[in-house]
Amino acid sequence: MFGKKRVAIVGAGVTLFRRNLKETGKELSYHAAKMALEQAGMELRDIQSVVMGTAPDAFDGVHMKGEYLADGAGAYHKPYTRVFVGGGTGVFAPLAGWWHVASGQFDTCLVVCEEKMSSCYPHPQYAFTTIFDPVLERPIGMNLIWIFALEMNRYMHKHNIKKEDIALVSVKNKRNALDNPIAQLAANITVEDVLNSEVMAWPVQRLDVSPTSDGAAAAVLVSEDVAKEVTDNPIWIDGVGWCIDSTQWTNRDLYYPDYVEYAARMAYKMAGIKNPPKEIDVAEPYDPFDYKELHHMEGLLLCKKGEAPKLTREGVTQRDGDLPTCPSGGLLGCGNPIAAAGMMKVCEIFWQLRGEAGKRQVPGDLRTGVAQAWGDLMQYGSVIVLRR
Amino acid sequence: MSLEKITNPFDARHWIGHMEAEYRYTLGIAGERFFKEIKENERIMGVKCPKCEVVFVPPRLYCEKCFAKLEEWVDVGKRGEVYTYTIATIDIDGKRLEKPQIYALIKFDGACGGLIHRIGETEKVYIGMKVEAVFKPPSERKASINDIAYFKPAE
Repeated sequence: MFGKKRVAIVGAGVTLFRRNLKETGKELSYHAAKMALEQAGMELRDIQSVVMGTAPDAFDGVHMKGEYLADGAGAYHKPYTRVFVGGGTGVFAPLAGWWHVASGQFDTCLVVCEEKMSSCYPHPQYAFTTIFDPVLERPIGMNLIWIFALEMNRYMHKHNIKKEDIALVSVKNKRNALDNPIAQLAANITVEDVLNSEVMAWPVQRLDVSPTSDGAAAAVLVSEDVAKEVTDNPIWIDGVGWCIDSTQWTNRDLYYPDYVEYAARMAYKMAGIKNPPKEIDVAEPYDPFDYKELHHMEGLLLCKKGEAPKLTREGVTQRDGDLPTCPSGGLLGCGNPIAAAGMMKVCEIFWQLRGEAGKRQVPGDLRTGVAQAWGDLMQYGSVIVLRR
Repeated sequence: MSLEKITNPFDARHWIGHMEAEYRYTLGIAGERFFKEIKENERIMGVKCPKCEVVFVPPRLYCEKCFAKLEEWVDVGKRGEVYTYTIATIDIDGKRLEKPQIYALIKFDGACGGLIHRIGETEKVYIGMKVEAVFKPPSERKASINDIAYFKPAE
């Protein structure tokens, strides 16, 4: 066994994802945490430790965001940690929750992820301009969309991938989101809609990209002893992995996310997974851009390098396919409140494995699921394997 | 930045009046030499890790793989190759650019890493295209990455 104690998720909650919610970040955190506690059948007094995941301080302009959000996450008078690894935060936060409990230090940990991007006005894109190297990159006028365009272009070039095949991811995820009550951008669109949408920075077009959002998501993590007391249906955290690549993103081969593979291998080793495509029943790869779902499927070893577009075209990744990806609707369909979006994926796998995903439920006997997020300056991978 | 120790506490920096925060970044030890070579000699330098046999461009003080301190500087030349590119059609405020701007990641022969820069004097670009740095006139150089005005086709 890895760690001193086995760790289970026993409750989860996700708020609406919207462009501009009336609630403050604290209030969003509260709603998600409360929902997770209610599903677990637990009270705040049962919680021994709290982990908060939230992305750049610059979104809120409150440069001690962990402290700012603490009471909304239920951390009053409790051991509390805020973790932050950029876009990877949403899956990294439950990993941090895992080591709180797996270490034997705590029997319960409430993990809350929050993002309120709308406070940064007129657009949170501005907050992203300061993530780049101040000497080498900022003077050129970098922005986030076009570094992803550079990566997408390299990925397309390496495997000779057509934009039509990448657009299918956006079509699938936005359609899946029609069944998700939290979704911000659920829609029935076509490949042509994506290809005809405004070009932002070639090859990235408007419908290739997830929106900015407000939202929160949370889960209750407990030790095996507590899990047996509170539920007949625990979902186990059987694998955790995380990895950072060169912080000099120019030093990496952009066509393939090595760091996701390393994180996945760490998680699969712990979970005893030898053949990921066979053993994983449902996946939530991180999809802030449509090509990223494909990139991450490959990094997660769910298929060979360059093979993800083919699987998508053949329908394998649809909800009723052999390897459903982003049955939640993903970030493309549900929205992208950074840390909350990653955590939403963990919640979705939890509900899918419990058979509680409603209209989004993937058919069949689901045993194992994986969620993944990606962040910092395109070099951070966080992976979690859940089992029924 | 002064390296002298302050012995009189009243000499510690203080500020009276409205304070507007801005940020000033040092180029760093490796960065200072890199930008000096660009500014004074129109040379693009890398630095080699003898153990890992990797040449880093832009150069750095240490090897991220083995943590060796790097001291072997090499000129990687003004010519590189487009590794990937994007054509920006809107600016950071979402406004449409009058003329699309090509940005590329340019890699240099045998080096790890590369430079992000504008591509000029052409509307055509492709992955694998050979390009060459165009430097600003000496009087306009400021030891900045923008001392290179852009890269132009070199074929």
